[in-house]
Amino acid sequence: MISLTFSNVTKRFGARTILDGFTAFLPGGCITAVTGANGSGKSTVLKLAAKLLLPDGGSILARDGDKELCKASYRSRIGLVSPDFHAYPALTARENLDFFLGFRREAPLRSREYEELLVRVGLSPDAVAGKRVGYFSTGMQQRLHFAILLAAGADVWLLDEPGANLDDAGRSMVRREARRAADEGKLVLLATNDREEEAAADACIALSGH
Amino acid sequence: MHVSLYRAIEAVFCKEMRISLRSRSSWLVVLMFALTTLSCVSLLMQGDVLSPRLAAAMIWVILFFSLLSGAGRGFADEEQMGTMTALSVYGTSQAVLFGKSLFMALLLMALAMVVLPIYLVLMDVAVFSLPVLLLTLLMGTYGMAMAGTLLSALMAGARVQNGLLPVLMLPVLLPVLLPAILLTAGCFSGETHGSYLVGIALYDAIMTAAASLLFDFLWYED
Repeated sequence: MISLTFSNVTKRFGARTILDGFTAFLPGGCITAVTGANGSGKSTVLKLAAKLLLPDGGSILARDGDKELCKASYRSRIGLVSPDFHAYPALTARENLDFFLGFRREAPLRSREYEELLVRVGLSPDAVAGKRVGYFSTGMQQRLHFAILLAAGADVWLLDEPGANLDDAGRSMVRREARRAADEGKLVLLATNDREEEAAADACIALSGH
Repeated sequence: MHVSLYRAIEAVFCKEMRISLRSRSSWLVVLMFALTTLSCVSLLMQGDVLSPRLAAAMIWVILFFSLLSGAGRGFADEEQMGTMTALSVYGTSQAVLFGKSLFMALLLMALAMVVLPIYLVLMDVAVFSLPVLLLTLLMGTYGMAMAGTLLSALMAGARVQNGLLPVLMLPVLLPVLLPAILLTAGCFSGETHGSYLVGIALYDAIMTAAASLLFDFLWYED
């Protein structure tokens, strides 16, 4: 089972220190919520975990059981849903999924698998058929980002405010899928200020900000 | 090349092709630039005959500026669409490099195939060795596309971008442009030298290896 260890991690943006000596162990098989006020560093923790940012100090170590994962191996197991993540607006939902699966070197979905996936994230296959993502509502795009995450079979789920822009059914889907992923042994790291999402987590890291 | 990497490269290539065909922007900008240049030069020549070297240089200048307008958009469009994070998280840098480079090479080669016949007719230029000319265009555009993609990725991360791409592009492309122009001129005059072809092949091989090695450092912060 995959795990992530932050050891004494420091991150600065200019003169501002966002994280100072941040230490945490994130085990697979459970949902860990990161909470805190705006600007406290929730998204920074997720970007560090996604290797989109480098720490200024300390280390972040990924392990699968006792084996340390190399960068390439770890990267191939990450999935991300965040406000920075966008699918291609000029492509349809199907084309986006086919692209991301091909890019991830996974087998393409069969028509039935594709339809089941869309239903699972609350998108109607008929409503999105042939429609470019640029014409989707923000909530529909967020659901598609979840479909990409699910299809990619990621072992590390990095979710930054995943319920944002979603209705009640959508937020419920997020909690359900995060729980299901954790039960399957995946590592779920969730940056949120939503009480219900926080309550659904197994562990919580509260950031105070600096 | 590993089979699964080939699949990832194919995915990026097809995505570039699909988006480009739908937006038509990259094709139109490049094509209109080429046609405008051709029209101006042919009208001003008024029946005069260009020397083979000048005629060859003209073709490659059109391709060079087309690359500047096309390659510059490669990663700028990803930034604009907000898809850079998706590319960084869900795939490998090598797939991005080769997928985008091959698409750019195809774009340039397609442009050359459209422009060349018009150019030859308008300028009344004879071709003595068509296979060598086509091989020169194929290898030259590949090298230019590889260098253009690498520099475009470099620019995407730079804070000051205006005008920097052409400045960097000229010294990097000169080693492939000069033999390509001389070889093309040889095809127009009937005196081709195989050593120039070897020179272009060497450039392509070195640029492919260098871009592959350097791209990881550009793409990943660590």
